[in-house]
Amino acid sequence: MNDVVINTGSLVKQYRRYKKKEGVWGSIVSLWKRDYETKNAVNHIDLSVEKGEFVGLIGPNGAGKTTLIKMLTGIIAPTEGSIDVMGYYPNDLKNEFKKQYAIVMGQKSQLFFELTVNDTLHLFQAIYEIPEAEFRKNKNYFVELFGVRDLMDVQVRALSLGERMKMELIVSLIHNPKVLFLDEPTIGLDAVASRQIRRFLKEINEKNGTTILLTSHYMEDIKALCKRTVVINHGSKIYDGMTEGLFEKYQKNKRLIVTFREPQADITLMTKDAVVIENDSCKKVYEVPKESARDLVSEIMSYEPKDIAVEDEEIGVIVERIYQERGE
Amino acid sequence: MGKYLEVTRIYMKSQLAWRADVVFNMIFTISKILFAYLLWSMVYEGKEMVGQLSFHAMLSYYIISSFLAQLEKSGGISSEIHERIRNGTFSKYMVIPVQIQKYFMAMELGVVLFYAAFDFIAAVIWIFVFRIRFVFAADIRLVVCAVIMAMFGMIFMVQLNYFLGLLTLKYQGIGTFLMVKNHLEALVTGSIVPLMLFPEIIVKMMQLLPFYYVTYLPSMLLIGMCGEEAMTGIMAIACWCLIMQLLIRAVGQKYFRKYDGVGI
Repeated sequence: MNDVVINTGSLVKQYRRYKKKEGVWGSIVSLWKRDYETKNAVNHIDLSVEKGEFVGLIGPNGAGKTTLIKMLTGIIAPTEGSIDVMGYYPNDLKNEFKKQYAIVMGQKSQLFFELTVNDTLHLFQAIYEIPEAEFRKNKNYFVELFGVRDLMDVQVRALSLGERMKMELIVSLIHNPKVLFLDEPTIGLDAVASRQIRRFLKEINEKNGTTILLTSHYMEDIKALCKRTVVINHGSKIYDGMTEGLFEKYQKNKRLIVTFREPQADITLMTKDAVVIENDSCKKVYEVPKESARDLVSEIMSYEPKDIAVEDEEIGVIVERIYQERGE
Repeated sequence: MGKYLEVTRIYMKSQLAWRADVVFNMIFTISKILFAYLLWSMVYEGKEMVGQLSFHAMLSYYIISSFLAQLEKSGGISSEIHERIRNGTFSKYMVIPVQIQKYFMAMELGVVLFYAAFDFIAAVIWIFVFRIRFVFAADIRLVVCAVIMAMFGMIFMVQLNYFLGLLTLKYQGIGTFLMVKNHLEALVTGSIVPLMLFPEIIVKMMQLLPFYYVTYLPSMLLIGMCGEEAMTGIMAIACWCLIMQLLIRAVGQKYFRKYDGVGI
């Protein structure tokens, strides 16, 4: 039980929002008469995460993932239920608590754009009160790990998106957080940068024993990194278990995106159950049961494509199947 | 404490990234003194004194008040908080182990220290260029009181702008609040017209407002005037700081909890 670092019990977050009738008259009426409705962004979630776990948190847009992370980091307070992160109630916003975790949000930067990364790191050294020896050791380790020594004296605003994300991770990890919250860390990154980030995160989790909670829309991130996945929809937890089991059970199809150098006529496929989703002359998209994906790739190769990309199904489809299985 | 000193250092350093801002700030200080020189030269034509001030005392007042007014950069705090809350990035300050208000105070100090040096140079240059017989308080107690009052004044302005920024948690726009503040500030700090030129009843009313003690009274003390108001002035602005702090505490907590419906 001592190894549990995150524990929530029937956690609820309600937002109150008002509904306005359309048009100018509706706006005028809303000045003195407003109809409010309550929305449950997070709905009775029980979550327990043990030390050193790498947990994926997935769900469609508006599922409540970010709200949950905001509650776990103390940015917002829960409406009801219990919440305990490393022995603290997060929304107390105690400095001792904040020193023990880090949060990286793909679309929100912690860096100072006018400064170099070195300057920002020194600022964080002071803010987190990191002893000089520990700071140097951590900095060297991450700079080598991320291969960014040449970029440390470059102004942050001059960095590319991929480089900036590496710096965000270094800045967030410099104080050796026990728990790392990652909200869409690979959003907008190209395949190479995403792969690099995934590799670093894996190493940090395995070598440093950092507990990581990751939200991502990219199934690739979740599959590559998380042994355990929690699926959230409409604020409720609908799956909590092994990642492998989730995809094995609910991911039925793969999507093949094929591009050609020269325009192609319609292709008659021999692969069983392959369905055409998009059929342009130079680009075709197919959906195929995952066990037949290899056959379809082999078949397509005979048409000498320029490029083939194999994608997983979107999270929305997986959520739908979970509901179907539950008979909802 | 060390962490806030580092914040001060970093923000001082970050000012260097914007060289044009430094140049324009100096130009603004210089142009204010230049316009004051031209204006008051005309007003003083054929007169020795205006409102108990000689021409050189008036210019000394202007140089000091311009210097203090230029140092007051806390307006950036309300816009930073406003924009970050509106953009959903205010959480940047909530997840690091700092007290947010202290962080902004340290940030302001960094900016002030940086500009203080350049504005001081600009002011001194003008004293020599216009051969102003600079009038300065002979009584060291008045100088100490003025410095303490100016420091409290800046703390108050940081508090006020922090508070106005926090109002974004409740209101869609804080433009009206800022406009009222800016107009009051411009008038009551005496950076446009020295308050002693106003009727006494108006000055008495202005003494009730904190802005009176931000630039005007410290400037007057530094040219050796209004000495009788020194101690009461310090107490008044200290009380305003206390009131503002209580207001921040009460309103901040309440609004933070209320606003959490939108991404912060």
